[in-house]
Amino acid sequence: MTSTYIHGIGMTKFGRLESSLKELLLEACNEAVKDAGNPKIDAVFVGNFMGGSISNQEILGAIVANELGLGYIPSTKVEGACASGGIAFRQGILGIMSGEYDTVLVAGAEKMKHASTPDVTQAINSAMDTTTTEKMAGLTFPGFFGVLANRYFYETGASKEHLARVALKNRENGVNNPLAQFPKHTSLEEILSARMITDPLGLFDCSPMTDGAAAVVISKKKSPIAVKASSQVSGPTKMQDAIDLLSIPAIGESGRLAYEKAGLGPEDIDVVEIHDCFSMTEIIATEELGFFNRLEGWKAVEEGRTKVDGDKPVNTSGGLLSRGHPIGATGLAQIYQLVRQLRGNAANQLAKNPRLALAQNLGGTGSYSTVHILERV
Amino acid sequence: MKIYSCCEKDSISKRFYCPECRSSEFAEKEVSDDGTVYSYTKIHIAPAEFADIAPYNVVLVDLDEANAKVTTRMEEDVEIGDKVTFDRLEKGAYIYKKVPERVQLH
Repeated sequence: MTSTYIHGIGMTKFGRLESSLKELLLEACNEAVKDAGNPKIDAVFVGNFMGGSISNQEILGAIVANELGLGYIPSTKVEGACASGGIAFRQGILGIMSGEYDTVLVAGAEKMKHASTPDVTQAINSAMDTTTTEKMAGLTFPGFFGVLANRYFYETGASKEHLARVALKNRENGVNNPLAQFPKHTSLEEILSARMITDPLGLFDCSPMTDGAAAVVISKKKSPIAVKASSQVSGPTKMQDAIDLLSIPAIGESGRLAYEKAGLGPEDIDVVEIHDCFSMTEIIATEELGFFNRLEGWKAVEEGRTKVDGDKPVNTSGGLLSRGHPIGATGLAQIYQLVRQLRGNAANQLAKNPRLALAQNLGGTGSYSTVHILERV
Repeated sequence: MKIYSCCEKDSISKRFYCPECRSSEFAEKEVSDDGTVYSYTKIHIAPAEFADIAPYNVVLVDLDEANAKVTTRMEEDVEIGDKVTFDRLEKGAYIYKKVPERVQLH
């Protein structure tokens, strides 16, 4: 089977930006292609979620191929809600594994800050099954994780303070990342007293609206960073049909598949980027990925195990909560941070010189999950 | 409350096909509207179409007479374990209400 290697990475600043969706996309792509040494690109995959609904802009693949002068090559936009970037990355990998392409440019981008919060919330709600009575009841995307969090508290003894500790850790990490959306320090008190979004999730427990883009060049040609495993699964699309609300099976199953492909276990992973769309989601994901026992992820937070200097550092970039969450770009921003960690020049670089890195990207309320494991070779 | 069942699985929503046997024929049964609060959230930041009624409670109710849950909206604040029942259907949404304390004693 053909192996895939990472050759170049690029990422814009995340936040409220003047640049258009197209400008952000091209900036990240150009940086990644230059970082890769300007190779011939055989195909383009772009992850994007709301370019059509919020910016009235589709054909992002062809725009990249044309504006960067890549020639008459195939290009594709990939949609998988907040996992659009991770799925695009996987499509590129599959294209190389199949033998069809030697070198692929994968990008993700989103432009959100120009639209109003109710309009963006409405657009994000399209990542739920909109034909159901629960959508008619007014369930929102953050609302799902609020319901989950209250049940998690009830069953475990965890509290809002544990969620706040996740938010604080990711903010402290984000402050050291010059590309992150939020450069300011905060405190547990500020997080705990912030206005409520969907009980018990306050402002700091929810990932923000963000403009930004990220891109990666991958190839079958060798480089110092290999893609050791790529997995993707689909999960339940309705809250009321969840067999166990405190499990997000898409995360667990994508993790299990990735470990199996890589011949590794959770104990082997040195550094992790997890899809912390909400503070609660990070805790559940650390359990689903096998880093901590089920219903005990909150204890690991309490013990500081997921901090930069902990034994299982999670979201050294600041995560979605502080790096920001330009939906289609997030999966590739995770790869960007992990490649920097493996190259040894990341924001919050780990002292222990990491060799194995894992990225997990979630779409919907558990509708999609991708896991990628990278290895410094 | 109507429950759709196939292959020993109950659901409040009628699926297009049973994931086990692929049948589109589901056994339908009426069960009590009564249930117990499994979990809840109060939504303060709502999408445009619900902004006029925010904040509102979305409550996941475990039905007493079926192995199924239903996502409802409630005006009253609730806690996990509270007894609740159907009040009305409103624009396709199940609106639930608390069962008065004295009734719970029986």
